[in-house]
Amino acid sequence: MAAMEGVVQNQPPQPLQQQQPQPIAVERLNDAVQQQLNLKAVKDRATNLFKAISRILEDLDGYARTNTTPKWQDLLSQYSMVNLELFNIVDEIKKVSKAFVVYPKNVNAENAVVLPVMLSSKLLPEMEVEDNAKREQLLQGLQNLQISSQIEKLKARIDMIGAACESAEKVLADTRKAYCFGTRQGIPVVPTLDKAQAAKIQEQENLLRAAVNYGEALRLPADQRQSAPALPMHLVDVLTVGDGVQAFSEASGMYLKNTPVSSSNLTGQSPLMQVSGSQLMGRSAASPGGTNITNFDNTTTSPLPYANSPRSSTTIMNTPSPQQQSQQQKQQQQQQQQQQQQKLMQVPQHQQQQLLAQQQFRQSAMQGLGQLHGQHQMQFSPSLGHQQFQGRQLPSGHVQHGISQNQLNPGSQMNRHLSQFSSAANSALFNAAQTTPNQMIPNMSATMSSQSLLPRMQFELPGNNSQRSHSSQILNDQMFNMGATNTGGMMPLQQQQQQQQQQQHGSQGAFGNMAQNAQNLQSNMVALQGTPQSHANFSQQRQQNQQQ
Amino acid sequence: MECVVQGIIETQHVEALEILLQGLCGVRRERLRVHEICLKSGPNLGVVPSEVRLICNLEQTEPTWTVRFIGGAMRGAGAEQLSVLVRTVIESNASKNVLRLFYALGYKLDHELLRVGFAFHFQRGTQMTVTVSSVNKMLQLHATDEAVPVTPGIQMVEVTAPASSETYTEVALAVSSFCEYLAPLLHLSKPGISTGVVPTAAAAAASLMSDGGGTTL
Repeated sequence: MAAMEGVVQNQPPQPLQQQQPQPIAVERLNDAVQQQLNLKAVKDRATNLFKAISRILEDLDGYARTNTTPKWQDLLSQYSMVNLELFNIVDEIKKVSKAFVVYPKNVNAENAVVLPVMLSSKLLPEMEVEDNAKREQLLQGLQNLQISSQIEKLKARIDMIGAACESAEKVLADTRKAYCFGTRQGIPVVPTLDKAQAAKIQEQENLLRAAVNYGEALRLPADQRQSAPALPMHLVDVLTVGDGVQAFSEASGMYLKNTPVSSSNLTGQSPLMQVSGSQLMGRSAASPGGTNITNFDNTTTSPLPYANSPRSSTTIMNTPSPQQQSQQQKQQQQQQQQQQQQKLMQVPQHQQQQLLAQQQFRQSAMQGLGQLHGQHQMQFSPSLGHQQFQGRQLPSGHVQHGISQNQLNPGSQMNRHLSQFSSAANSALFNAAQTTPNQMIPNMSATMSSQSLLPRMQFELPGNNSQRSHSSQILNDQMFNMGATNTGGMMPLQQQQQQQQQQQHGSQGAFGNMAQNAQNLQSNMVALQGTPQSHANFSQQRQQNQQQ
Repeated sequence: MECVVQGIIETQHVEALEILLQGLCGVRRERLRVHEICLKSGPNLGVVPSEVRLICNLEQTEPTWTVRFIGGAMRGAGAEQLSVLVRTVIESNASKNVLRLFYALGYKLDHELLRVGFAFHFQRGTQMTVTVSSVNKMLQLHATDEAVPVTPGIQMVEVTAPASSETYTEVALAVSSFCEYLAPLLHLSKPGISTGVVPTAAAAAASLMSDGGGTTL
């Protein structure tokens, strides 16, 4: 054994002479003895070394305290002695029991303290407990026996497990062979299909792939394209609305519903309102002029008998659809948080009644856009027709008046404001709108004079609609009917329209529908939201207006 | 964008495929019953007709609708080297009125089909979905209850994984490596490229279906 030969001469009393217990004895005991001996010796030597080092340290300490220069020669010789001793100990350990001795190699101030703990072979208490538990588990039932039989039993267990693994392997190999998966080494035997079968399958495959990807073989000939007598559940309420499958036009968004505009705070300088004004004009210009804004065509030509069509009976119109209602509720909640310009929102009761009346009127007048005289046609929400909606004075006959002025009776204010418009400004705007139908008319404020051109509109518009202020958006929007005018001023004002909520039911609904139909409202919304100042302008302007 | 591969499998082996997928994916399978309505735009919406698919999931008590637009596939040398097809896909949930909406916009029904089968949604390097379904056609318009399979003996297997223009290479790799696991039973390829059935499918299916045998320890 290595341990046996590891006895070095320069070890202090080497109890090697101590008789080893009978050689036939268990290995372990012998080892233990050896270890015992060596350990003791090593420990003694280590202790001596430790003492020597501490002596040296004390000397150094003394030197430091007395501040005398130590005799370096002495110190160095002492250090070398200590060093040699350590080296010898380590050497011995290596020879004696290199298999199971750990000694620190790199000791410095940091780890010196902790090293003894780390070197100790005694397990931490938790680890010890765990260790014991595992040992218990392993030796269950065996502990009462002798150690040798314990070993036997454990060996038997290991053999059993090995045998099980081997048999499993065998089964796997057999199965593989049976099912022709091929062994790792051999060439797999691949069964082949016969030609006819393969051809049939190929044909079927092509059919299937074509059906899935391109819809071949799935198209019904025209004569068979009648709906089955009993529609499946998921299509029942979708398709049987009564207006036919193909011809149904979701008109709810296309028409101006009862847009809730009671008063507007738009002033001439507000770019939003001006934009909306121009858009309004542009819009209305298109219709009579017959320009190519197709949405007008849509609105004018869509057939009447749709449940949601505003052109159908007014009673239906005034009942907001569930979508609108939910929209309204949402918007109502939003608006309840704003209080800034409440005073501006006050709409006298009679005006609101007029609003309703105007709405009905408007619906009936949807057809004749561009006809101003005598027909109070409002292409936009009745809110625009509100008496406070000013600035819509367009060259008569050319441009659809946003408001049927005649209806805006409590019109003393209105008239006054209307008179502020110069037809020149209006026509300029109108022309601009016509020529640039798809662009935001940027210099609205420039084109409009400093008069308070835009009527003071109070909109209770849902957030969606505010997005419509973008003129291109509005002009292009097929569903747009009223939105343009309102959206300009709507955005900033929408927040304040708590009072208008009750009356603005239907209008809100309309906006909701419109919003649903528009696709890029989002961008507009962003654009709109970036103009909070206009809001302030509104109030200022309004006050100015009031004072005028 | 999505990466997609398609394959076919004989109906008799579908159960074995399910077992294999169950093991590979580690998630429970979900039943699939989807009514797919393919609409083509009318002339009022432009010269080139566009196609849109409305997918109604009939599995739940409340059917859910999805709008799906399948765009063009990626082209080019890079795309040819990939074993999966990468194409743009735009999907969105919709309400049940979506069909009416599209009709109102001028879309017309082009064809419809019913998929009945099962699907696995799982994560394997990337989010992936495997659907195994029989494609059924309706003899009468919208008669989903009386749909018959287009090819009774063969079902369609589709593996799709959402991707973006930056990640599509990794996703394609993940999808193709997953497909390799299915090799004993079926081959998957880009849509439009036919693969045929796999000759070892029968044996593989048999081994998957059997309990394998084994000794007790």
